[in-house]
Amino acid sequence: MTYLWLALLGGILGLDIASWAQAMISRPIVAGPVAGLLLGDPEAGFWAGVLLEVLSLHQLPVGASRYWDTGPAAVAATAAFVSTGGPVALLVAVGFGVIVGWLGSWSVHGTRYLSARLVAVETRGSVTPTSLTARHLAAMASDLLRAAILTFVAVWSFPRLAVGLVGVPGLGDAVAALILLVSAGLTLGVDVRTMARGGRVWAAFGAGAALSAILALCLR
Amino acid sequence: MLALDPLLRLRLLLRSLAIQGSWNYQTMQGAGIGFALIPVLARLHRRDPASLAESLGRHTRFYNGHPYLSTVAIAAVARMESEQAEAEEIERFKSAIVSPLGSIGDRLVWARWRPLCSLVGLTLFLAGAPWWVASAAFLVLYNAVHVGLRVWGLHLGWQEGREVGRALMASPLRRLPDRLTIPLAAVAGALLPLLALGLGGPSGAGSLSVIGIALVLAVVGAWRPAVAGRLAILVPLVGSLVVIALGSSVW
Repeated sequence: MTYLWLALLGGILGLDIASWAQAMISRPIVAGPVAGLLLGDPEAGFWAGVLLEVLSLHQLPVGASRYWDTGPAAVAATAAFVSTGGPVALLVAVGFGVIVGWLGSWSVHGTRYLSARLVAVETRGSVTPTSLTARHLAAMASDLLRAAILTFVAVWSFPRLAVGLVGVPGLGDAVAALILLVSAGLTLGVDVRTMARGGRVWAAFGAGAALSAILALCLR
Repeated sequence: MLALDPLLRLRLLLRSLAIQGSWNYQTMQGAGIGFALIPVLARLHRRDPASLAESLGRHTRFYNGHPYLSTVAIAAVARMESEQAEAEEIERFKSAIVSPLGSIGDRLVWARWRPLCSLVGLTLFLAGAPWWVASAAFLVLYNAVHVGLRVWGLHLGWQEGREVGRALMASPLRRLPDRLTIPLAAVAGALLPLLALGLGGPSGAGSLSVIGIALVLAVVGAWRPAVAGRLAILVPLVGSLVVIALGSSVW
């Protein structure tokens, strides 16, 4: 039954990323904890969403661009992380979320062709409001169904793919945490460079980092 | 001229939320803008179904602007339709307004506001705020601007009609993205040590060395963004696949 609730959540989140509202409930820092709430551990859901959020920070859901389907990705990552916990599980959850995000991107691409078939006839001349509304809503329904199926398959398959996740020899928490740190550090550097070039940007970045580091170290 | 009463405004606003519902590679948001205009066109052509169908047919052709600022185009087109502007003039207007709406919206919303709100949410959580405070802060901050843009766009589009392009160019929205760059960089900087401590905590390494590693990585990321961007995704991906493969073989 939980799988079905997660699939429904994934469907709604998949709709949010572009088709309806774009209120950004599909961002991992919202989708992760909401999925975590359904699974009984919202904080773990937020942790699963942290790195996915950083990694997808500058992906633009615009026009014909390809972007990760972050809603289903965060739900899948949360389901993967909640089941075990710890840095190794977080690493696997993030990797799994990236794969689901990519699959979501491809499925969005396919749905766009389906949408073209649904509404293309509307461009051939006169259109009635009823027909246009029905076709437009059908396209939205297909997007919701796409994301729901993707989420269901992801959360159902994960426990079967990662049977022996706990107790991997030679790969401790420290290595997993380091891998995640490498990914996060590189991404934030890329993000700042993408924003703008110039000394003022780096000065602001450095000032923010220094202040936050001093406060964090003093308060620890 | 048609009166844009509060109920009609609300209907246009709600329908604008679904403007990308049937986004596709042929007409892009074409059917979406037609769908959003139905309440206005149905009122204008209530006694002539054939004219309504013809008008709706014109509005389902190609269109693609920023979804939040689509209300600018929707309201301006609604006003032009209610003033019985020529069909060709309305088509020319729609083609011309696409670029400014896309450019302003993409720079302001996707490149600045959304990343800034995400970073604020992440920073709050890693600084010790409960998860729900961080998520709610992100959603409230982000959607205050999101909904504000939609409502403002509807008002501006109806008020200015075919002259809305000039009003857009004169609006402070064009300069806002540049003003958000410095705060965005500062919050990204503030997040880095917190993220490093949050992720590196279980490794047992010293706090200063973990922050130092993260800063070096950020500099490397900025120095070689193309390679670093790919590496940042590949590293956890390969790492997780190795864990799954090893774990499965062990069991």
